[in-house]
Amino acid sequence: MNQADLSKLVSKLRINIRPRHYNLKNPKGPEGRLERLRIVVTGLIKHERIQLNYRVADEARGYAERLISEAIRYGDCHAPTMEIADYWLTEKQLIHKLFKVLVPRFHECNMSYTKLLRLSTDHELTRMQGVLELRGNPYPPLIKDLSRNRNLLHNVLLDAARKDYRHEQYLRIAQGMSSEGKKSNEETITGNIEDKDKNEKA
Amino acid sequence: MKYIRNYRKSFQLVIFCRQASYSSVSVVRNQNEIFDNELARQTSDIGRIEKITVNVHEKIKNETFSMNKHLSTPFNVAQHISKWMVEKSALALVDNSKVWDMHKPLEDDCSLRFLSFTDEDPHHVNKAFWRTCSFVLGAVIQNAFNDSIKVLLHSFPSPQITSGSFVHDAMVSLDDWKPSSDELRCLSADMLKLSLKELPIERLTVKEQLAQEIFAENKFKLQQIPDISKNSGGKVTLYRVGSHIDISKGPMISNTSLIGRCSVTSVHSIETDNGKLYRFQGIALPKGLLLNHFAYKILEDRSTKLNTKDYGSTKKQAMV
Repeated sequence: MNQADLSKLVSKLRINIRPRHYNLKNPKGPEGRLERLRIVVTGLIKHERIQLNYRVADEARGYAERLISEAIRYGDCHAPTMEIADYWLTEKQLIHKLFKVLVPRFHECNMSYTKLLRLSTDHELTRMQGVLELRGNPYPPLIKDLSRNRNLLHNVLLDAARKDYRHEQYLRIAQGMSSEGKKSNEETITGNIEDKDKNEKA
Repeated sequence: MKYIRNYRKSFQLVIFCRQASYSSVSVVRNQNEIFDNELARQTSDIGRIEKITVNVHEKIKNETFSMNKHLSTPFNVAQHISKWMVEKSALALVDNSKVWDMHKPLEDDCSLRFLSFTDEDPHHVNKAFWRTCSFVLGAVIQNAFNDSIKVLLHSFPSPQITSGSFVHDAMVSLDDWKPSSDELRCLSADMLKLSLKELPIERLTVKEQLAQEIFAENKFKLQQIPDISKNSGGKVTLYRVGSHIDISKGPMISNTSLIGRCSVTSVHSIETDNGKLYRFQGIALPKGLLLNHFAYKILEDRSTKLNTKDYGSTKKQAMV
């Protein structure tokens, strides 16, 4: 009853979060893990697109998302948010970027702020690599936009189907018009005859 | 439903079909034996191996490879580049002009480009895909029916994507057969199974006489072969997927794994110069291209209409 609404305390992230964190091995233990993730989050905010081990990228993604969402939610005059930003961004000029560049960029964003893509690995022994990027980055897109290209097979088929459908519709309309035309012709003819009859009677 | 083989498995019919199937199995085995022997003969005929330089032009960088003349194929070149390149390329473009099968040996120094379904203008790849689908549909038809039913593949017309369906004509010893939706689903499932098997599509050019030997059991093909070989200098191009062999002038895509969503949507009976045939129609999309089920259903519905491409004229069909 009197429980606080959780969504008002913590902003909901728009990414899938695993039930349990990855076990990222580090000689320094949990502390070292956080240090590594800090480097990744800082790198992401700085370069906007980074390639790294997939598991590390996935882990760091959640922290980056949370950081941006907090920044959007509370702004730069909120001491705890500033403290979080100060912790996660090891290069201090990036705090400025976070509030002045990224917050306006993602202010009205209704998707996740980051994207994570898997890279194909040629060698089975290599660890799975991923690309972590901020949306709206200035680099050329990594995935082709297949919906715009009308030459792709599914679009060719759909265009042909559309043409076919329109052709059928035109035929139907034409048929309807001709049958209507016939009807109206008949009516006028019969009407004329009746008129003539009336005239003759008169 | 009772005619299709998948369905049969749950019945006792299997036992006494086994004897009847012997002849059709031996025909296929014989065909493949001839094909394999000819392939081995052609490879051994190359003799001393010469080297050629192949320049590969890709967006990111250009690379040069030293390959074997009459032996290495664009597929081998792609293997040198990356696994991803092998999986995604459907065709190759040699010297910026000739469309080349992935499994056709290179003949001279050349420049090479790989074509895929998501290129800026994938016209050639789309056509090859449609042709391959017709060809694979042939393999499906050949194996789908109960052994008591005689199936003789006729041919498939050259690909026309805007017609909305790919086609394979075959003679089936059934009168007025109208497939139920279950039977069509079985055929679609067979086609999907072939794509999941990731079979390479092999290519071989043979002399007219050998082609006649391979298709000795098929009266339609025997009729078509002289015409085909006349138009291509006494040679006939054969393609093989799994154990199924057919005539086609090609080119075809490299592997059945590139076929993504596919369905066999309708079978119409048609009258031709060669008597009554059944026209099998289907629709498929390449692996990378995704379409929601609503749009796909529209395409499926459209593909059930009788495709009138080369309807009734067997000569044109023979030119595939």
